[in-house]
Amino acid sequence: MPLSQANGSLMALQQPMKTNPSWIETITSADLQTRDRSVDRLAAGRSLTELLQAAEQLDAFWRKEPNLYHRVRALFFLASIFRYHVPRQVDLKVDGRTSARAVGHLLGRRFVEAIDVFRAELLSTGPNLAVSSGLARAYYQLGIQTLADQVRKSVRTVRGNQWMFRVGHPGEHPLRIHPMLLGSSEEPSDFPLLVEKTSVRMDFSHSAWSDIFFLGMDYPEGARVINASIDLAVRGRDPVPRPPIEAYLRIIDRPLLRLVSVDLGAEAEIDEIDEVFDFARDYLGLLKAALIASGVVPPAMEGCHQKTRTLLRSLIGQRGRGLELVSQVNDIPKGSRLAVSTNLLGCLISILMRATGQISKIEGGLEEQDRRLVAARAILGEWLGGSGGGWQDSGGIWPGIKLIQGCPAMEGDPEHQVSRGRLLPQHQLLDDQAIAPETRQRLQESLILVHGGMAQNVGPILEMVTEKYLVRSDIEWAARQEAVGILDKILAALRAGDLKQVGALTTLNFQRPLHSIIPAVTNQFTDTLIELAQQKFQSRFWGFWMLGGMSGGGMGFIFDPKSKLEAQAWLAETMIATKRRLQDRLPFAMDPVVYDFSINDRGSWATLLRGDDARMPDGYYGLIAPKWIKQDFRNLSEQAQRELIRLSQNCRESPGSVQWLLDRILPSSSLGQQEPSDLTALLRDNGFDSEQHEQIRSDLKLGRIGLAQNRLPAQTTIDDVLPDDVIDVRGESDQALRQLGAAVIADGALAVVTLAAGAGSRWTGGAGVVKGLHPFWKLLGKHRSFIDIHLAKTKKTSTEFRVPIPHVITTGYLTHGPIEKFLSERGDGDELGPVYLSRGMSVGLRTIPTARDLRFYWEETHQQVLDEQQQKVRESARNALMQWAIQQGEASDYLHNTPLQCLHPVGHWYEVPNMLRNGLLRRLLSEYPKLRYLLLHNVDTLGASIDPLLLGHHIREKACLTFEVIPRRIDDRGGGLARVDGHPRLVEGLALPREEDEFRLRYYNSLTTWIDLELLLSVFGLSHNELDDQTKVDSAVRRVAQRMPTYLTIKDVKKRWGHGQEDIFPVTQFEKLWGDMTILPDVRCRYLVVDVFRGQQLKDPAQLDGWFRDGSSKYVENLCEFTRP
Amino acid sequence: MRIPKAIITAAGKGQTSLPLQRLVDIDSNEKSALEVIIEEIEAAGIESIGVVIRPPDEDAYRQAAGKYADRLKFIFQEQPSGYGQALLCSRSYVGTDPVLHLVGDHVYLSRLPGKRCAQQLVEVATSSKCAVSAVQPTRETMLPFFGAIGGNRLPQTSNLYEVKKVIEKPTPTLAEQELTVAGFRSGMYLCFFGMHVLTPTVFEILAELIEMSERPVPLAEALNVLATRERYLACEIVGSRHNIGIKYGLLSAQLALSLSGQDRDRILSELVELLAAQPSVANAS
Repeated sequence: MPLSQANGSLMALQQPMKTNPSWIETITSADLQTRDRSVDRLAAGRSLTELLQAAEQLDAFWRKEPNLYHRVRALFFLASIFRYHVPRQVDLKVDGRTSARAVGHLLGRRFVEAIDVFRAELLSTGPNLAVSSGLARAYYQLGIQTLADQVRKSVRTVRGNQWMFRVGHPGEHPLRIHPMLLGSSEEPSDFPLLVEKTSVRMDFSHSAWSDIFFLGMDYPEGARVINASIDLAVRGRDPVPRPPIEAYLRIIDRPLLRLVSVDLGAEAEIDEIDEVFDFARDYLGLLKAALIASGVVPPAMEGCHQKTRTLLRSLIGQRGRGLELVSQVNDIPKGSRLAVSTNLLGCLISILMRATGQISKIEGGLEEQDRRLVAARAILGEWLGGSGGGWQDSGGIWPGIKLIQGCPAMEGDPEHQVSRGRLLPQHQLLDDQAIAPETRQRLQESLILVHGGMAQNVGPILEMVTEKYLVRSDIEWAARQEAVGILDKILAALRAGDLKQVGALTTLNFQRPLHSIIPAVTNQFTDTLIELAQQKFQSRFWGFWMLGGMSGGGMGFIFDPKSKLEAQAWLAETMIATKRRLQDRLPFAMDPVVYDFSINDRGSWATLLRGDDARMPDGYYGLIAPKWIKQDFRNLSEQAQRELIRLSQNCRESPGSVQWLLDRILPSSSLGQQEPSDLTALLRDNGFDSEQHEQIRSDLKLGRIGLAQNRLPAQTTIDDVLPDDVIDVRGESDQALRQLGAAVIADGALAVVTLAAGAGSRWTGGAGVVKGLHPFWKLLGKHRSFIDIHLAKTKKTSTEFRVPIPHVITTGYLTHGPIEKFLSERGDGDELGPVYLSRGMSVGLRTIPTARDLRFYWEETHQQVLDEQQQKVRESARNALMQWAIQQGEASDYLHNTPLQCLHPVGHWYEVPNMLRNGLLRRLLSEYPKLRYLLLHNVDTLGASIDPLLLGHHIREKACLTFEVIPRRIDDRGGGLARVDGHPRLVEGLALPREEDEFRLRYYNSLTTWIDLELLLSVFGLSHNELDDQTKVDSAVRRVAQRMPTYLTIKDVKKRWGHGQEDIFPVTQFEKLWGDMTILPDVRCRYLVVDVFRGQQLKDPAQLDGWFRDGSSKYVENLCEFTRP
Repeated sequence: MRIPKAIITAAGKGQTSLPLQRLVDIDSNEKSALEVIIEEIEAAGIESIGVVIRPPDEDAYRQAAGKYADRLKFIFQEQPSGYGQALLCSRSYVGTDPVLHLVGDHVYLSRLPGKRCAQQLVEVATSSKCAVSAVQPTRETMLPFFGAIGGNRLPQTSNLYEVKKVIEKPTPTLAEQELTVAGFRSGMYLCFFGMHVLTPTVFEILAELIEMSERPVPLAEALNVLATRERYLACEIVGSRHNIGIKYGLLSAQLALSLSGQDRDRILSELVELLAAQPSVANAS
């Protein structure tokens, strides 16, 4: 062991540092070539000691450096050094522990304190993976937080926004409602209605996400976007394109704020100012954010505990008056990549600012300074609502096509000497001189906009882009320059009216720079569509057009205008068919749609309607009128009476147009017919045990089981394992053991088991798609799923040893059908080798959580505190979810979703016993009589492979189960290998008596297990012959199951509704876990310490970038032999 | 520069009776608000005073003016067509000299011993030889009630500003963008005091604006144009203004006068008695 190296590094840190100015110089230099050097280049060829010295210099630098961007760049350099460069050089056999204190600081967002603790550890123990990963995370998060704080500060210091953070009492409100909204003296309660209509934005190119605020503020020269304001129509539904966003505002004759979201079917009457700040309480968060960001309820009033009537009296100047704000998005599905939310926020802010005189004109279009103010307020609103996109997103407020560019910060700007660029960019409208009217027309005739139906979170991509920009990775930097060049060429092609060239350039932009920076911009769905379009239309297909942050949702396809109609119909059909084929593998929120669009040349536009014209949209009355009708007419306010009379008059005059109202107020035959038989059949077919379910429910209600009861007794001692408890195989090359394992493999005595019954809810955010089938990464030029990779690894070993190796994939109720279909569609069965499915035999029914468990989950377990505003939103959502659980009935069955989403898998412990129960093991033993060993691994452990050396260890140890463990890094949470009351075993995180116990454990459980079948059968008390006896098998499984602990867990489940809307609910389920086999005294267990590359698990798509960059993907690629190259 | 005349405007909607209200001045003499305003003007050395009123109000104003009635020139605004138009009615009376202008619904209280507010303003205008508006630093929450200016402090002065922009009752959003004054705390703006020295150019501008506009034109709009045409200053007055046209405005003005004058102790005693007689209110506060 090269201990001297570790000691050397340690000593180097404690000695005076050698001067190596290149790192700091790269950050501070005015010379572009020096400034744009990448971290990878700076780190290349450096020894561990040199890297740690550079880290020391950078750490000292960021602490004293006044310039924000220098500071942030140093932080990202440090994150990169500790994430990618130090781990390549540390002595892999020095295992560290993650400090509980540092993790506590990280979770509480005390990043500097966390860094200090990790650095102290680095000095005392020397470098290891645990401390290195901790430092990487802490520096990264501090960098992101510093940038977010700066944007927030800049938004607050924009002139015109500052006053809102000072006015704290509603009685002192400095705004007044526009007199034109006050109505006439003749009809005092017949208030005019202000209507604002706004487009959405469609970007031609965003020069590689250059509209991320941080990028624009540091690199204004490269921050360039072309986008157009467009109106939309869903093909086959709407007659003509129209502005998709509408907002309505009027005074009402009740002293409260009434908020209505027509498309989300939500309304609220707000009497307390504090409720305006409760964003996640209902679906009206965006309307509330607009009220705050527009200054109608200034942010400084948060927590003032005053009534809205006090504020409204100051604002309107009359007693008994209130405000009504209504939003409507004309059924444009969520995830359109057209910035619907930001433009809706802009539209709402604009109407509120018009109504309070903050915008010069109450009607008509907006002036440039008004648009800029609305855009600045929209950024503020997004921050308040805990979300945020880029600065181009409010582009729908502007008219037509525009070039938006970052601006250098000049003297007098709040950003001057803070960042190189301003927060807000400059918009240059591209008029008819710049882009001819014929070109605009031809663009509309050749571009087809679609919503592919996929729902994906673009947030992690924006963080990755920011990090890559700041560390200037060579590939990223070259790609960024290329993207900026492509924008110029697009502009030139637009000026020349050459739309075919525009299509070629947008395709190039997508396939080259965007894909180089973030490979996840594409996916199998998008690539399939592009490929099919090329095949079908050939030279008539002019190109692909990515919209917004990633593809799969809103996208564009450009065709020869002569083929547009044909292509529209073809796309509608092909997208649906492709979605049907891939919907088990990729998260789709809805069926794809095709739009018609037109360029909007007016920008956001307001009209004041009076008298009978002052009519809200139909959907509004659908929501509100039933409530009026239920009340005695005489008890209604004068305004409501008038509205109802007008509505009734309208119904009489054109009865055909009020179908929607009848649908709303009268029962229809299609309502209330939710058929439970699907769920019943699913429960029956998947081995649901209703008796056990009722027992669990009863125990839950009585508090006998629950999250708190998952824990081992408090007096249990938890210690790290001793050196003799594990066998460290890292770097080992015992040829004898290797040959022992190889002989067994060559003899056909080994099979592989991939556990794929689970829903993988963390991977897809509870979307209910099959994680194992998710084509998450391109390897050797093709999208590969987890299962593709596992099969390819077995294939390679099989080829190497010239022996068929059976590969079992365990499935569950959710995954069996799709995996079976996937394998049959691959069509390479013969080439692939023997693949078997082991169908799950047990399923549970999810229940509504108890308030007690929710409280424990949210308040008693350590959770990452979010950024200030996001945390407020999260807490508001949690209050709402707590109320939901209580109203629905604690521990009652969760039935309010699609049947598949109501079931849950019962934990991976069952997956091996299922092979006994469903007869697969019997079949394998008969088809492969020499079969003696299994290699079992989780679907997301991509590095797990058939290693003869490890098998040799397993055989030599005569173990029943040999588990592979890996050195713990900061992200490896959820238990590990421990001495529990003196006995080594695997322990789940949720079973640890105290959460901090986990941080004393050096090894994390990869779950990869070598199994001796003979010994395992003896644990179950079964002989080979008895495998035919179902009763005996069932009873044996039940007997062992009773010895296994049952854990109660809370999972997030998505419920989809409306047009691509998704809600996430917490549900309770139970599970038994495979690692708990180690508690059985009659099971001989051994533990092998293996490399991180081999044992790490991919749990979250946000890990993918690091997985690629740290060499993990290359490691996995080398293990594979794909039958479909 | 000589300022021989002054104009009081009192023809605004809902304001016509305000100058007729009775007050007790700092010398403990009961008089009308109009008399208090006239005395403010007299003290500034103005020779002649014009009052813009609606025609039916002449008798009431004559009576309210008391001993000053004969020295007033009443100018009539036939229709209530706005503040700017009311001022423009006095154009022929004003002639070609600069004029001191006060609104009829404010009373003023100087904190500079021996020098009333109008006098402070007139002295600045006389020495600066240009239009000057009296201003007072005002919190942003009061912006809906006043016109406000933006500009830069004149070098080597503590209370004079070169006016660049004037906006009538600006929103705080606009004020923050257009009216910030270097050296002022955030959220403080220079708002009108209800007292100006106007040059003939103001009347020219008013005439132009009224000609072009179909809506009533506020004085602030004309002053904003003035800032682009000739030198125009604002003077921070050492004193306070009291708008008697708002709720409790008269009471507040009376208290301010009395607490600054010879009846101070008496008024304070009466206030204490009032407070003592309302124990529940006192406790609640």
